[in-house]
Order: sequence, then structure tokens, then C-alpha cells
Amino acid sequence: MSENATITLELFRYHPETDSEPRYQSYEVPYDEDWVVLDAINWIKDHVDGTVTHRWSCRMGVCGSCGMMVNGEPKLTCAAFLKDYYPRPVRVDPLVNFPVERDLVVSMDGFMDKLEAVKPYIIRDDVNDTSQGEYRQTPAELARYKQFSMCINCMLCYAACPVVGHEEEFLGPAALALGHRYNKDSRDQGQSERLEVMLSSEAMWGCTFVGECTVVCPKHVDPAGAIQQAKAVGAQEFFKRFVMPKGAGS
Amino acid sequence: MSGQYHRPHRWAWWTERPGYMRFMIRELTSVFMAGYLVVFVMTLARLGAGEAAFGEWIAAMGSPGWMAAHVVALAAAVWHAVTFFGAVPQAMPVFLGEKRLSGPVSQIVMGYGPWLTVSAVIVWWVLR
Repeated sequence: MSENATITLELFRYHPETDSEPRYQSYEVPYDEDWVVLDAINWIKDHVDGTVTHRWSCRMGVCGSCGMMVNGEPKLTCAAFLKDYYPRPVRVDPLVNFPVERDLVVSMDGFMDKLEAVKPYIIRDDVNDTSQGEYRQTPAELARYKQFSMCINCMLCYAACPVVGHEEEFLGPAALALGHRYNKDSRDQGQSERLEVMLSSEAMWGCTFVGECTVVCPKHVDPAGAIQQAKAVGAQEFFKRFVMPKGAGS
Repeated sequence: MSGQYHRPHRWAWWTERPGYMRFMIRELTSVFMAGYLVVFVMTLARLGAGEAAFGEWIAAMGSPGWMAAHVVALAAAVWHAVTFFGAVPQAMPVFLGEKRLSGPVSQIVMGYGPWLTVSAVIVWWVLR
């Protein structure tokens, strides 16, 4: 490979103030096998076209900001190496199943609303003063939900889920996994509150277990597994409410 | 110009990833299983109609077309079972203290083991 090798990046471009339809723009970028797709986009913005708009922050797979479609695959662009695509061109789109704000930036509003809807925090009937000590938890109790607490809200799972694209009411993989994470937390007492939201209509039952959310998750959260487990809890709750209409959930 | 751009619905979404295609195949196997159940119910109805009617029905079932249909239904049922057991470790994780049972062990303990045991009992009961 020559020292002057380049790779082509085709970026999705959309500027709402001038464009009625999106278009693709190609850029030749120096090829470095240590570079990731995010490095290439940053190089374009710094050296060729300052109007390219994209989100990024940590550059090490922690912040969850730089999720985009790389050759049709939802990826953290900070973890997608150019060498895995070279010498073919790399097409970069904003995450699918989200409205596009500008270029590679999508609107997160709907996602944030869904996250908030599952009450992703510990709910207690009794709130103790800190002087009374912590709410203790054994390692075994931690193990029940730890995997589901690793989510970085990168939204790759929403881009991989066909139900998200077709069913507005569906809360989606990350939000449901987060809701299940708190339901499985031994310190929490808010399961019935969360199930009010998760059991409504298509909010959770919309999931048909396609499973691709788990495949694309960069943190191995397994949202598909979390949702199936939450469905089992939901089904038990449904029958409890059927048998004991007033006493369920307590 | 208005603000956000909404990309059009992708009606052929299931062609976009191999995983989507596997999902569609898994769901389609249910159609063959439902079809087999209809045939099975019809078989019971013919059994209720008397020995002669049942004999005719069973003879018809031996035709190459029906045999092929049964082979397809069996293949669909087996594949559905395999995908079902594949989902067991995700949907029903088993913990021993802090340790989670591995996927293959979960599948054997909660899926293939009981399946083969029950199948063996049925085969023994039919052939005894």
C-alpha cells in the first residue's frame, strides 16, 4: 500500500435551511489503518468541509454519541476501523428510524421521552435518610441486572430494530432494557409503576424478538433478552391483576 | 425549508440484514405448523367418521404430495424448535449465585434435554 493511499467516504448531507431532500457527498480521505470512521469524518470537517455536521465526544466507546450507519450497519464510528472497509468506499448515514436534524445528526427527542417514560431510577416506598446507611445489595443481587446497566444510550439498537421504525408506541430496546434493569434491582420498589407504562398496548408487546438490537449493541447489554424477561414478568402481572384485581402489584 | 427530514418507510426492511431474514423464516415456520394442525384436526374428524373413512384418509395421506407436505411441516417444526431453544438463555437466564449458566448449558438443561426425553418416552410408548 502506498503512503498516499486514500479511501472514499460518502456522507449523507442534509441542511434543512437549503435542502428539501438529502444527498450524498463523496470525499477522498487519507487512508491510515489506525483510523476509525470517526477520524475520517473529523478530518473532512477539519480540512475539507467545515459544514459537515456530526456528533461525537469521547472517542473511546463510552459516551455513545457517535452512532451512525456505516455501510448500512449501525455502528459506533469510533469503533469502526477503516481497515475493515478499505479499499471499498464507506457510506455513512445518520441512524435510521430517527428524524434527521442535519447531516449525520438525528433528533433524540423521541428516544429521550421513551427513556424517561420507564422511570429509570430507583423508586422506594420508604426513603431513608443517608444517616441510616446505604441500601445494601449482595453480589448475587447485583448480577441479576448488571448487564442491563451497561447501556450508553448510543441508540444503535433503535436503528437495528424494525419495530421501532413501524410502531410509534413501541418504547424500544434501550428504554425497555433500562426499565427491566430497575425492576430487577433488589433496592427498587417501583416495578408496578413501571409496568403501568411497559404493559400498555404496544409499548413492550410490540417486540417480536427479531433480536438484532442485541447483535449491534456495543456494550453487550442484550436488550432483546431483557425485553423477553420483562414480558414474562408482565404476563405474570397481567394474570395477577386478572385474578386479584385490587391486590396485584403490592 | 422545514426542519427535520423523515426518511421514507422501508417496506422491504426484512431484506436489509441476514438477521431480519432469519427472523422472517422463523416466523414463517409457524404457517407450516398451523397448516399441519389443520390436517391433524381433519384426521381426527375422519377418525370420528368411522373406520372406512379413516382408512381412506390415511391412504390419501400416503400420496407423494401429502408425504412431501408432512416432511416440509416437520422441517419447519424442527427449525422452529431450534430457534425457540436458542432463545431460552436470553429469555430465561439461570443464575447459580453470582454466576449465570452459559448459553449452551441452558439450552441443554431447559430445552434439548427435556425435548429429547419426552420424545424418547413417546417413541417408546408408541413402539412398545
